[in-house]
Amino acid sequence: MTDSASLSPSGPPPRKATLLVLAWNRWDLTERCLATLLATNLDNAEVLVIDNGSTDETPERLAEISGIRVLRLEKNLGFVRGNNAGIAAADPESDIVLLNNDLIFGQRDWLARLRAAASSSPKIGVVGARLRLPDGRLLHAGTYILCDTMWGQQIGSLEQDLGQYTAEVREVEGIVFACAFIKRELIAQIGGLALDFESYFEDTDYCLRARAAGWTTVVCGGVTLIHDEHGSTQNDPDSLGRLFQTSRATFREKWGEELAGRYGHRLLWQSIMNFPTGYAMSCREILRALDAQGVEVAYRYVYGPGTVFPPSEPENSEDYRLNVLRARKVPWRPKAAVVYGQADVFGSNRGRIKVGYTMLEVDGFPRDWVRAAQKMDEVWVPSEFNRQGFLDSGLTRPIEIIPLGVDTNYFHPGLSAFPNPHGEFVFFSAFEWGERKEPGLLLKIFNDEFGCDEPVRLVCKVINRDPGLKLKEEIRSLRLRDAGGRISFLFNQEFPHYQLGSLYRSMDCFISVSRGEGWNMPLMEAMACGLPAIATDWGAHREFVHETNAYPLRVRGTIPAVAKCPYYAGFRWADPDPDHLRHLMRQVFEHRDEARAKGALAAREIADRWTWRHTAQKIVARLKALGA
Amino acid sequence: MSNDRDASESALRIARLEARVAALEEALVRRSRELRELQRHLPSRELLNLSRLAGGLPPVPTGRYDLEVWRETTALTSASVEETLRDLWQSLTPEPFAAR
Repeated sequence: MTDSASLSPSGPPPRKATLLVLAWNRWDLTERCLATLLATNLDNAEVLVIDNGSTDETPERLAEISGIRVLRLEKNLGFVRGNNAGIAAADPESDIVLLNNDLIFGQRDWLARLRAAASSSPKIGVVGARLRLPDGRLLHAGTYILCDTMWGQQIGSLEQDLGQYTAEVREVEGIVFACAFIKRELIAQIGGLALDFESYFEDTDYCLRARAAGWTTVVCGGVTLIHDEHGSTQNDPDSLGRLFQTSRATFREKWGEELAGRYGHRLLWQSIMNFPTGYAMSCREILRALDAQGVEVAYRYVYGPGTVFPPSEPENSEDYRLNVLRARKVPWRPKAAVVYGQADVFGSNRGRIKVGYTMLEVDGFPRDWVRAAQKMDEVWVPSEFNRQGFLDSGLTRPIEIIPLGVDTNYFHPGLSAFPNPHGEFVFFSAFEWGERKEPGLLLKIFNDEFGCDEPVRLVCKVINRDPGLKLKEEIRSLRLRDAGGRISFLFNQEFPHYQLGSLYRSMDCFISVSRGEGWNMPLMEAMACGLPAIATDWGAHREFVHETNAYPLRVRGTIPAVAKCPYYAGFRWADPDPDHLRHLMRQVFEHRDEARAKGALAAREIADRWTWRHTAQKIVARLKALGA
Repeated sequence: MSNDRDASESALRIARLEARVAALEEALVRRSRELRELQRHLPSRELLNLSRLAGGLPPVPTGRYDLEVWRETTALTSASVEETLRDLWQSLTPEPFAAR
């Protein structure tokens, strides 16, 4: 039994809460639920067990337990009517907390935290908790439902629980009612669960009814309960399936128009999302954020046979929302379309209003990119660095800066970490091996500056997809000293994106010595996690990196961008200063408190200014301005 | 009577020894099969470590820029952050080895 970070004990005593535990048979589950529940802090709360017509030992065993009240129903009324009977039997002044009997309570202060979340705003009507499976995987951090399919989805479901979605109060569309704190004022206004549903959709329906009445639903990320998901049901799978479809049809009838009406804009988004590339990763995030901002966005793959990137895209995104967005119908000439990718595919833009959204890592743009961009109504780039590059290259169309962002549910300082247990300070860098990332400079300077007897290590997460590149030979050719700073490599390992925050949190300092960046997402994600960062003081990431929140690495000037990438020909990029890199690494190593303070500031700044919500809001503002 | 008893005890002893030999032979066949399977499926480094562990020695530590561990490839391998980091840190300085 644990308490998470303490709550302030000040303020008046809480309003009474009635905790309704709905049970039908499965005494083993109910007994475990009550045993763990009654061991928590239940200040001014009553536990009311609704025995939903159990036919096993439940009635007799409940009678033996002290400290609870029992409402015995003669027959199983189902989830909705059973809970409504409990609400009717509760103290009419009390708040209500609906609880499934297959929950396990391992957190003493769960109720105080739900109450604190509920009282943090008078508009909050429903509060849910994070739910975790017994095997440690996250099950629920809120729900969403798309009008296309009317099939509710749980946020974060089946991800390894690494501390994602732990914000104390986070607004969501809905929650599952395995655990639901409902304010008395809301019940007084809209009543109990709707009788339209025997089972399924009643929780989403309730949250939508609350919203229609002016209330919001939130998840309190400070509370995590174990949900064993056995459920007490008497229905076989076939009848459950029929019940689901019936409830779904009812839900569609009731809410279909309302949900479809949430979208204020329609947009075709032509890009890439099911490959391991930077554009693809950011595309996925932008699509999710646009949907949340009320843009009915449909996705189409912009590359493929006949383009600069010929492979066909796998259809499955392994993300329900993105798969739905991909399946949406699009007219041949939609009103507005954004091509998000290299500018040499801007010509594929199908919209009547055409936007091209791109970036590049050097100080200008190739001629054919500029020609393609000239045919757009507007060009978007993430940074002033690229805006200037386009201007210098002769683009005369309007250019808007739409910065990229991070998802602070997955990149924040509170994530689980797996730090080096041997006490070494760990510098970390992540890159695809190539000229632009300057890996040789990083490895040489680190190995030269530090000795193998110092408690410090450099861990490099290296990707190589170039069959013509022999990485072992490349590294051997650097002739690193055996007596020098120790370096470890994570080679060609692909981690789920949602786990990367934990990777950063397990390190002490992030280093990016690249010659040029179109945005530098790993740097931004690491900073969002509170890592102090050393980064070349040149390129797009100067939007969010400065002396106060990081360690900008001086450049000696710019040099010709010589690389395999044909887009760089004729342009220039940075020449990072090796001596300053040496100095900064030593500075961070020897002044860790200062470094930690910079990292903490970076995390706050990024959460405040640089999230995908900010990106989507800027896009929506531009769509409005364009009349899309 | 005494000779009969001696003969009976000897026969019993022989039977026990024969049963023991049969059991050992069976175990040897089983172990050989296991080793062949390990040899077929494990990379050479893991076989080396298996032999060292069986011989009461600690596994070969990996670390620094241990290029020899890599298989030069352009394929990406799916991995979990937790498992990878625990493995990385352990490989740098193996836990104190407790020989059985």
